[in-house]
Amino acid sequence: MSIKIDRVKEYEALLDVYEKEGLDTSLFGDRIAAIIISGDKIIGLNNVSGVEIRGEEIEDGVRADVKIEDNVELHFPIHLCTGFLKNEGYQRVIFNITVGNNSKVKFLSHCIFPYAKDFIHDAYSKIKVGEGSLVIYEDEHIHGEGVKMISKTEVEVGRKGRYTGKFSLIKQRAKELKLEMSAKLADYAVTELTSKIKAIKDDSVEIREVLKLEGAHSRGNLKSTVIAFDNAKANVVNEAYGLGDYSKGHVECHEIVKGSADVQTIPLLRVRNDKAELTHEASIGRINEAQLMQLMAKGLTEDEAAELIIKGLLEGGNNLNP
Amino acid sequence: MLCLRGIHYSVNGKRIIEAVNMRFRRGMSYSILGPNGAGKSTLAYILMGVLKPSRGRVFLGETDITDLSITERAKLGISLLWQEPARYEGITVWEYLTLGGKLRVNKEELQRVLELVGLPYELYAHRFVDKSLSGGERKRIELASLLLLKPRYAVLDEPDSGLDITAGELIENVLNYFKETGTTVILITHHEEIAAKTDFAYFLCAGRLIKKGFSREVVEYYKRTCGRCFLAGMMRDEH
Repeated sequence: MSIKIDRVKEYEALLDVYEKEGLDTSLFGDRIAAIIISGDKIIGLNNVSGVEIRGEEIEDGVRADVKIEDNVELHFPIHLCTGFLKNEGYQRVIFNITVGNNSKVKFLSHCIFPYAKDFIHDAYSKIKVGEGSLVIYEDEHIHGEGVKMISKTEVEVGRKGRYTGKFSLIKQRAKELKLEMSAKLADYAVTELTSKIKAIKDDSVEIREVLKLEGAHSRGNLKSTVIAFDNAKANVVNEAYGLGDYSKGHVECHEIVKGSADVQTIPLLRVRNDKAELTHEASIGRINEAQLMQLMAKGLTEDEAAELIIKGLLEGGNNLNP
Repeated sequence: MLCLRGIHYSVNGKRIIEAVNMRFRRGMSYSILGPNGAGKSTLAYILMGVLKPSRGRVFLGETDITDLSITERAKLGISLLWQEPARYEGITVWEYLTLGGKLRVNKEELQRVLELVGLPYELYAHRFVDKSLSGGERKRIELASLLLLKPRYAVLDEPDSGLDITAGELIENVLNYFKETGTTVILITHHEEIAAKTDFAYFLCAGRLIKKGFSREVVEYYKRTCGRCFLAGMMRDEH
């Protein structure tokens, strides 16, 4: 990893946060293609064979172009780390990612704003997945109490390409979040967009997920899970468009409410091809009573049962296995 | 001993259970046998505290537990195998069986109970207890959970429903396991061959207790009489 000498301290401060949060610090190693951003500076950049990352410092932020060649299969994820270590300010990040044909890559995007009190993070990502390529993009956030976040991702998936996008903000407050993810699919392309968010106190969450099944036999799945406590507000809009012959889409939204939280979900399913098929599934409200009672019948209190159910919904059960 | 004393249960004026008395002694196995709509599952829910009787009391030994919550009863050693176990997204079989790590069990124990219910540990421990499991697999996991909890009283509501042809053997294994651990089994079923596997049986029909005794006797009586009175409306007069 090449780090400019005057930015070593910032680099080390970010590493400290990673360690404290239990994140994988080996992502900063030389074997990993990575760009490390802090505020409006690029403090580290590393390329590996088949991956070219170019960064440019712009006003209030960074623009980065990431190019993956054809037939590249990476054994380690590409690490996109965006940090902001001050209390207040504004940060703009633009990622332009192009994955060639028949490649297999995974991106790990970490947004680290641990001390933010009055901070706006504005991220725009454009991702192009080449024909027959497989791309996984995981977006994880470590926030302070006061982050206003605007995140917009546009994905184009080429013929027979696969894209999985996962956004999670479950460990800290969402505060103010506007999340928009859209995917346009070519023939036989497959996409899954998942978002998991926990909103507490007076947090405000807006999610819009859009699936455009343009290609024949394209398939897509939108899935959002929001847990809203206290006085939090959440508005989830899932849109799916069945356009291609034999395209198939499924939209799933689960929102659990506790306290005086105010949540709503709006599905929009539109078909303009009589060979397309879209389905929708939603649950909104308190935790399912049968789920609660059945865990209570094993000796858990209602709160313990609710905690286990919510943990499963948000974390997918990854943390407790032996 | 777990006792139901003078239990009545009504919903919107409709009597579901009428004056039912039952006793379940420690270490013995019982079946509550009866046709669909007899009120068997209602009794299971009353034992577990999911439903409160309209009249009558539930006793554990000399203690009146009628007003205790589900959790409190579970802590006293009463457990229920639900007829339709719930699905949990994002919770693995391992997490589910250990209640998110709250139940201290080692890998060997988990392996043993999963094998006992016919599920190889390697294939199932990391699967999610969600809709990706079939009804039969889910039921087997629920049985494994009950075995791990080592309850004093295990209420099994239709344990064979949703299971394949090996269900009889599986239930026999579970009964044997509970026999060894001294757990009282209360098995709810409408299948006489399953009921015959227990020590004693209660025959319930249209919410009333019709006959009690050794399983074989009660099952014989059930076979003789119940085929003729399938409709719940007819049952009361018939008996």
